Amino acid sequence: MARYILQRLVYMFITLFIIATATFFLMKLLPGTPFTDVATKATPAQLEILKDRYGLNDPVPVQYIKYIAGLFQGDLGVSFQFDNRNVTDLIMDRIGPSAHLGFQAMVVGTILGIILGMVAAIRHNSWVDYVAGFVAIIGISIPSFVFAGLLQYYLAVRWQILPVSFWEGFEYTILPTIALAIFPMAICARFMRTEMLEVLGSDYIELARAKGLGKSKIMFGHAMRNALIPVITVIGPMTVSLMTGTLVIEQIFAIPGLGEQFVRSINTNDYPMIMGTTMFFSILFVAVILVVDLLYGVIDPRIRVGGKD
Amino acid sequence: MKKTKWSLLLVLGLVLSLFLAACSGGDDDAQEEPADNGDSTETPAETPEESDEPKVLNILDSSEIPTMDPAQAEDSVSIQYQDTVYEGLYRLGPGGEELVSGIAVKEDTEVSEDGLTWTFHLREDAKWSNGDPVTAHDFVYSWQRAIDPETASFYAPYLMNGVIKNAEEVNAGDLAVEELGVTAEDDYTLVVELAKATPYFESFAAFPTFYPLNQEFVEAQGENFALEVENLLFNGPFVMTEWAHEEKFVFEKNEQYWDAASVNLSGINVQVVKDTATAVGLYETGQIDRVGLSGDFIDKYQTSSEFISMPETVVFWLKFNQDSVTKGEYMQNENFRRAIAQAFDKQAFIDVVYGNSSVPADYFVPSGFVTHPETGEDFRAKYGDILTYDVDAAKEAWAAAKEELGFEEVEISFISGDSDIGTLITEFFKNELEKNLDGLTLTLKNLPFQERLEVTKAGEYELVFSGWGPDYMDAISFVDLWVTDGPNNEMGYGNAEYDKLVKSVKGELAMKPVERFEAMQEAEKIALDEVAIAPVFQRERALLSKPYVKGMEVLNPYGADYSYKYVDIQK
Repeated sequence: MARYILQRLVYMFITLFIIATATFFLMKLLPGTPFTDVATKATPAQLEILKDRYGLNDPVPVQYIKYIAGLFQGDLGVSFQFDNRNVTDLIMDRIGPSAHLGFQAMVVGTILGIILGMVAAIRHNSWVDYVAGFVAIIGISIPSFVFAGLLQYYLAVRWQILPVSFWEGFEYTILPTIALAIFPMAICARFMRTEMLEVLGSDYIELARAKGLGKSKIMFGHAMRNALIPVITVIGPMTVSLMTGTLVIEQIFAIPGLGEQFVRSINTNDYPMIMGTTMFFSILFVAVILVVDLLYGVIDPRIRVGGKD
Repeated sequence: MKKTKWSLLLVLGLVLSLFLAACSGGDDDAQEEPADNGDSTETPAETPEESDEPKVLNILDSSEIPTMDPAQAEDSVSIQYQDTVYEGLYRLGPGGEELVSGIAVKEDTEVSEDGLTWTFHLREDAKWSNGDPVTAHDFVYSWQRAIDPETASFYAPYLMNGVIKNAEEVNAGDLAVEELGVTAEDDYTLVVELAKATPYFESFAAFPTFYPLNQEFVEAQGENFALEVENLLFNGPFVMTEWAHEEKFVFEKNEQYWDAASVNLSGINVQVVKDTATAVGLYETGQIDRVGLSGDFIDKYQTSSEFISMPETVVFWLKFNQDSVTKGEYMQNENFRRAIAQAFDKQAFIDVVYGNSSVPADYFVPSGFVTHPETGEDFRAKYGDILTYDVDAAKEAWAAAKEELGFEEVEISFISGDSDIGTLITEFFKNELEKNLDGLTLTLKNLPFQERLEVTKAGEYELVFSGWGPDYMDAISFVDLWVTDGPNNEMGYGNAEYDKLVKSVKGELAMKPVERFEAMQEAEKIALDEVAIAPVFQRERALLSKPYVKGMEVLNPYGADYSYKYVDIQK
């Protein structure tokens, strides 16, 4: 097991290195400079000074080496758009709300989705199944910001049950959480239903029934556990994308998260910020994939890796 | 084995119950939410009337404050909040109509006869928020710091070069910063030497680049200066007490401010919201006092008694690139330009694209911006609408252009932004111009802002949608745009007579305000008679404002949009 994890960590490291390199060179292809928004009023000499200051006049390979060297020391550089603020600090300042919201939405969405999928499978072809299917289709096809807008308008503006926006306490997280949870819920419900149906038709469930096991024991102990594998596979990456912030939801609820930061850093050619957020997302992503792989083993001992030798 | 099965279920059940509990708890809390807020310091609209209640203005902004360092301020947001916490020699008076005393007593300012030496007398009761007095040395330090090439300020050379003595040389690194034409005669006397007489120099005295800075404090902060609240020192009507980046900015009245008695508000809360629907929701629920509107929301609230529309001094136009490699020949033809400039319905443009109360512009120096120094009439009073929408005239000019240039069909590329608005703009012009001008085809290019700037700078365009807002209160801010080979011309336009007028405005007419003003009116007429550009509209800003907010009825013509010093809440 330890050897397996070590091996995976080495791969992770290589992956991240490749991502850093690819992002760096792709980024250099972006049109414009970080200073174009003020370039109308700046003299060419001033632009040169600025470029010198930020090392943008060095040849690209030199910039690359400097960047990678900084990365190894945990230094992501300083942001251009925010008056020299440290990129690491900027990310750390804003990851809190995004991660909190993403995690909350994921937990709610997954649990509800699993329940919905299971109920639909158990009551296969009944009205319960159709309702669950309808809910899932709505959840997948309607984007979260539409739900967000509707929830906000009715629950916050019209009826004033919940706050309209901002990030000042638990009640402020409810609307965005619901809006964000609908998509993972729908996805989980569909996977769960399909998988449950398959599992319920299998021989070992027949055997369990023949053994005279109780219904709940069959469902939770045997069927659900096996049906969870594909769900786990999708929720890993989904968690990362939810936790790293979603631009539109953050804008609608005025949440100081990371999603918007990332989009704007690209629009303004804020190179260190682009690199910083991309690297941050990547690290999180590969880490979650590793966790998911390890989770397989917990849920289904047959897929346990590297333990035999 | 048995244990793990149950533990899995247990965990799931626990998480579920946790969520359910949390959810219902949250609902209960939320029920109390509005009342709760009322008791806190947020002071929303519902709080009962009380005379000694703190007057806190609750507003939104759509972006982070890019910088609180006066030397780096170059965007409207930074300028707005810097105006709130700092003060220069002068500041804009109520309504933004004129400059009034700031740290310097305006009535005491002496200008030498040749207009080259300005002596400002500072008040002795102005203090920094740490108790230090604000002195002439603070101005000298700040201006030298701003023009220092190491500071890399954009506005300092833009405003100082050619105006303040030696600014250009200092900025180029040829002279030491001490050579800049600004000296402290004593602690409270500031002497500024100009490179040439510049009547609008006094409006600089209210601009962030020219604010004072406390040298000792700035140097103690080093690289951290102006990054956080604790790295800032204030001398204006308010102090900043919280700066949660991209989230919230809180200001409180500065009790140390020399004119604190005139400041009505006890504080300002600004929260960052980018989504218009959210902002309107906050306004509707009484959590904020003002909200900007756009698109559909303007239609929805246009009849509301709280709806206001404020003219801005920003004008938009189409630029014809006479230097274009591909279509330069066409663009150099006056009839060709005239046909395009008169063939589109400007009111329809505003209705289709913005749906607000912006006004069609047949000029490029905005109305409501500057007035005649003697008669007090608006700049627009003399020539009014010069280049109007007139399909017949356009068709006539089009026929003439076809004959002169010998073409039947022509394809012109047209550039605008890549936002929703940008697409609407290009589509509108395509419809309108192709409909009215036979044989014209517009190919549309919607480019991101940065790329558009680069393309325009490089002159690689044919027709582009663009605009301008002034940096100081003088029509020259606009008239200077189209001088031959000027830095912002970027369209190959040139007219010797126009250049001559602009040169005299910036030179020998400096001390003759009436002639100078009239020369600029003539210059504008010359450029528009030749259809140098095709004016489109002057922007207005639509918003909702609670009736108890006073002193925010008009936008300042330049600099900060509002002067919070004069804003009041009268419930």
